[in-house]
Amino acid sequence: MLDVDSVVTRFGSDLIHDRVSFAVGRGEVVALIGASGTGKSVLVREIVGLLRPTGGTVRLLGSDVWRCSQEEMQALRRRFGMLFQDGALFSSLTVAENIAVPFRENTALPLEMIPPLVGFKLSLVGLEPDAGAKMPAQLSGGMRKRVALARALALEPEILFLDEPTSGLDPISARAFDELVRILSDSLGLTVFIVTHDLDTLHSIIGRVIVLARGKVIADGPVDAVMKMEDPWIEEYFSARASIA
Amino acid sequence: MHGAISWIREEVEERVNVLYLMGVWRLSNLSAISDALKSRVLQASERFVLDGSRLQELDTSTGFTLYRHLGGIGCSEAMVSLRAFDSRHERLLALVRERMRCPPAAARSVHAGPVQRIGAAALHVWRLLQIHVAFIGGVALEMLSLLRNPKLFRRKETLSQFEVICVDAIPIIGLVTFLIGVVFAYLLGLQAQRYGANIFVVDGVGLAVCRELAPLLVAVIVAGRSGAAFTAQIGTMKVQDEIDAISTLGLSPIQVLVIPRLAAMVIALPLLVFVGDLAGIAGGMVIAAWQLDISAATFLDRLQSVLPMSAAVVGLAKAPVFAVFIAMIACRMGMLVARDARSVGVNTTSTVVQSIVWVILLDALFAVVFERLGI
Repeated sequence: MLDVDSVVTRFGSDLIHDRVSFAVGRGEVVALIGASGTGKSVLVREIVGLLRPTGGTVRLLGSDVWRCSQEEMQALRRRFGMLFQDGALFSSLTVAENIAVPFRENTALPLEMIPPLVGFKLSLVGLEPDAGAKMPAQLSGGMRKRVALARALALEPEILFLDEPTSGLDPISARAFDELVRILSDSLGLTVFIVTHDLDTLHSIIGRVIVLARGKVIADGPVDAVMKMEDPWIEEYFSARASIA
Repeated sequence: MHGAISWIREEVEERVNVLYLMGVWRLSNLSAISDALKSRVLQASERFVLDGSRLQELDTSTGFTLYRHLGGIGCSEAMVSLRAFDSRHERLLALVRERMRCPPAAARSVHAGPVQRIGAAALHVWRLLQIHVAFIGGVALEMLSLLRNPKLFRRKETLSQFEVICVDAIPIIGLVTFLIGVVFAYLLGLQAQRYGANIFVVDGVGLAVCRELAPLLVAVIVAGRSGAAFTAQIGTMKVQDEIDAISTLGLSPIQVLVIPRLAAMVIALPLLVFVGDLAGIAGGMVIAAWQLDISAATFLDRLQSVLPMSAAVVGLAKAPVFAVFIAMIACRMGMLVARDARSVGVNTTSTVVQSIVWVILLDALFAVVFERLGI
């Protein structure tokens, strides 16, 4: 599904990624972790075609993201969904209009078929249908992310990219969101790629974790195996829990 | 039927209605599938069996549409059973069933009629006026506290704003007023030539530029340039909670943001009007020399004897008044910016429009007042 091969990213004299390589197979739920500033969000942007890497190849759903034609890229964009860190909802549209955007712009569906579908997508992510009339500014962080997820799922994507989906959420909302992702992934056969800092997410829904540190992939495997690796950063990361004595 | 792709086939097997789902049931085929469902007159019988053995692909939108249609003809969930589905598709349909709710999402926003829009606009203007009066009061209070405690005055901010408002605007002010001087002198010249009264172009240009054209034009350009910039800056700060941050640090946003801009503009505008005066007159001079054979020396000589001091002073006196209005409107509109992407743009446009309207209103007022006073 996704094949990242020797990606190099350089901003001026800063080397962010030094030949980063990994692959994600169908149906996997994979997490990308790393210290702040290691270029995780940058990497996701390079995978989805928003930021060009300095070197290397990204193959997504069979196409080379950076060497394919405009039409190929357009077709590709309909096959994956992206959830940005704070939802990135269109602030001048209502929730329902936000979710309707992919249907209106990327399908030839008759207009009267769209509202029921939008209502269904809202239910799918656990929101009430009357949330549709609200504006994004009126929503809490958790609701915004759910709406953004509904929008990302509108076109029935095969792979979903989530950029720090639980950041800024209270623990209950965060766990509920994880659960939602797990259910959708299981039922829909979605491949999920999550950039996250959330240790609880890692221990609950993630099958495989990729660790980015010092510009390279230093670990790539099941969470249990990676946790046991002898690397100072990995050890510190997985033990960085405040203990309530 | 065109294409003859069948999506659904109904058969009766041992007195049970079996619906075979066939083909690629994906979003891209949703219209066709929906039409196929509607065109089949399905009777709400006792039981339905959905058979997925001939189904190649399935997704949530088609699954939802199917269940919705079945629900629409009166078939409850209990009356539908599944057989021969791929386990993935079974899980997907289970999810769809679980998450389905009836009401469709809210329809698009309703467009108001013309009368409603006029009414809404009138109310909007009224509310805006109320807010502006309140804002003026707030600024006045802050200026009082400034008089009592001059140390509160933020010199660096004021100087920095002054540089942007005044110094950076000189080229464009110079250019525009020069060109207006050219146009005006040309028009006057055309008339004056007819009566052999070429030299009176000097009088006309001097008077018009100094009293009206330069102040008005400079105010409009500054409103568009700096007024819009204030609104956009302060508006973006509002959206990013920076203004709240200023308050929580114990500072007054009006002292930090508004008063420096106000002071800088009040000082800058008369200076820019002066630049405008010079440039406008220079423009007139160029045309006079080119079209009317009035040399620069003759022009300046005539100007010196004919242009009353009051013309220049009146023009310069209008400037601070314009400045106060432009700055106050711009800052207040900035503080009113809401948290959506359109708001900054809408408010910036509104600032420019309001400023221009007020400047012209004030100009007319000044004309009447000065006429009464005989200046």
